[in-house]
Amino acid sequence: MSDQETTDSRSMAISGRGALPRPQQQALRKAIRLEWLTLGCLAVTVSLVGLVAGQSQAMKAAWLEDALSFLPPLAFLVATRQIGKDADREHPYGHHRAIGVAHVVAAAALLGMGTFLVIDSTIGLVRVERPPIGLTVLFGHAIWSGWLMIAVMVLTSIPPVLLGRRKMRLAEQLHDKVLYADADMNKADWSSALATVVGVLGIGLGLWWADSAAAIAVSVSIIHDGVKNMRGAVRGLTDARARTFDDKRPDPLNREVERAAATMPWVAEAVCRVRDQGHVLHVEVFAVPRPGRAVEPADCAQLRDRLQALDWRVHDVVVSPVARIPEGQVFPHDEEEASLGAGRGRPTMTDPDE
Amino acid sequence: MVRRIEARAAAPVCLAAAVLMLGGCALTVPVDAQHTLERARGGTLQVGISANPPWTEIDPGGAVSGSEVELIEDYAESIDAQIEWSPGTESVLAEQMKQDELDIVIAGLTSDAPWTGQMALTRPYAEAADPHGGTQQKVMAVRPGENALLVSLEEHLAREGGEL
Repeated sequence: MSDQETTDSRSMAISGRGALPRPQQQALRKAIRLEWLTLGCLAVTVSLVGLVAGQSQAMKAAWLEDALSFLPPLAFLVATRQIGKDADREHPYGHHRAIGVAHVVAAAALLGMGTFLVIDSTIGLVRVERPPIGLTVLFGHAIWSGWLMIAVMVLTSIPPVLLGRRKMRLAEQLHDKVLYADADMNKADWSSALATVVGVLGIGLGLWWADSAAAIAVSVSIIHDGVKNMRGAVRGLTDARARTFDDKRPDPLNREVERAAATMPWVAEAVCRVRDQGHVLHVEVFAVPRPGRAVEPADCAQLRDRLQALDWRVHDVVVSPVARIPEGQVFPHDEEEASLGAGRGRPTMTDPDE
Repeated sequence: MVRRIEARAAAPVCLAAAVLMLGGCALTVPVDAQHTLERARGGTLQVGISANPPWTEIDPGGAVSGSEVELIEDYAESIDAQIEWSPGTESVLAEQMKQDELDIVIAGLTSDAPWTGQMALTRPYAEAADPHGGTQQKVMAVRPGENALLVSLEEHLAREGGEL
């Protein structure tokens, strides 16, 4: 398939896998395989931890946490099935927003996990609950269950770290926020496994509070990630300005589409609204034609093609020629966006031709 | 990304270091939070008992008997401890355990006993038929956090049961 054909099919398909260029489709397939692998690892982990958990409150918490981390991969897999569908009468914008919904689910899982850990551990500390960890008989040998728990925690924390690192790279390539949240959570798995090991060791040394203290230390950072992701997910779903895949800063494309639109010969002034539809962006362009210049449909199509050529993510573009920029869309200078690149400020709202 | 991992790991790693330093002198793991096993060796073991024949029986004169009483007497002998018996109902014993007044409770308890908030149940040491035709896992109870005592008693029970 030639590049020209790719561009054409992209401008035809509002949704569906067709919205993604070939490298991103490959990345998506890889990500799907990784998430199935994650689910497999989780199933093994949850059964192993369940087996050795016994009465230990700490291990029960670790178990519940692992059970919660089923949610992000599941949400991702469901969402990627949804985006495979084309737009229809019922879903005129396509199905890419399913990624946003999955992001909310993943964020809620992180938040739930962190909150549960903090509450559970704090109650344990306040009530002076001294966790019992007894004996396990393994093949006729007596062994302190703590050692088994530590072994299981260390073993089961390795695969998520490896998977998380690979997912993080794909998340950036795909601009996939749910994959990013999941990769983040895999790292949370890792650090909470370490905390559980520390806690169990502490219990072994007669320090009953070690387990809860370690859990609280880790859960603070899990909650922080949960809040960050929930904010990002809600921002995306409420059509806030599109941000980078890690939600750290406004997406540079916000400004690039406006700059590109302003370079069209017939455009005197342009303002763009960009929202995140999932992997792809929905761009609305308000373009004021130069005085005396009549706007033909071909002009709009040309502008659309120009914007879509900027980046694969500029996908669904609507051009509205207007006599003047709608009042509600004129915003003051934005510090955060201006700081992205020196000397590349947002086009001025006051037209020198006027 | 690496920096974030480090930041996350910092707290547990510091804790680990602190724990290892604090416990540096302790050679055997686990250690009791309140050193009950240490105190009981050559001393007294506080055992609560609630009648539940044939595992535990208390006659009107206050003398105790039953299969669990025998197991505990053997255990006490193995650690060179005297037993001080405290009879009571399960709920009274649970409360006494919570107040750190008892070290061990025997009452023909089963693994689904509702006292896990107040006492630590041992691993099942035997199976018995329950009245509904199923099986029950028989357990004893130890003061929570006294993990050296718990492991030591569990080891004794496993040996008596032929598991070890």
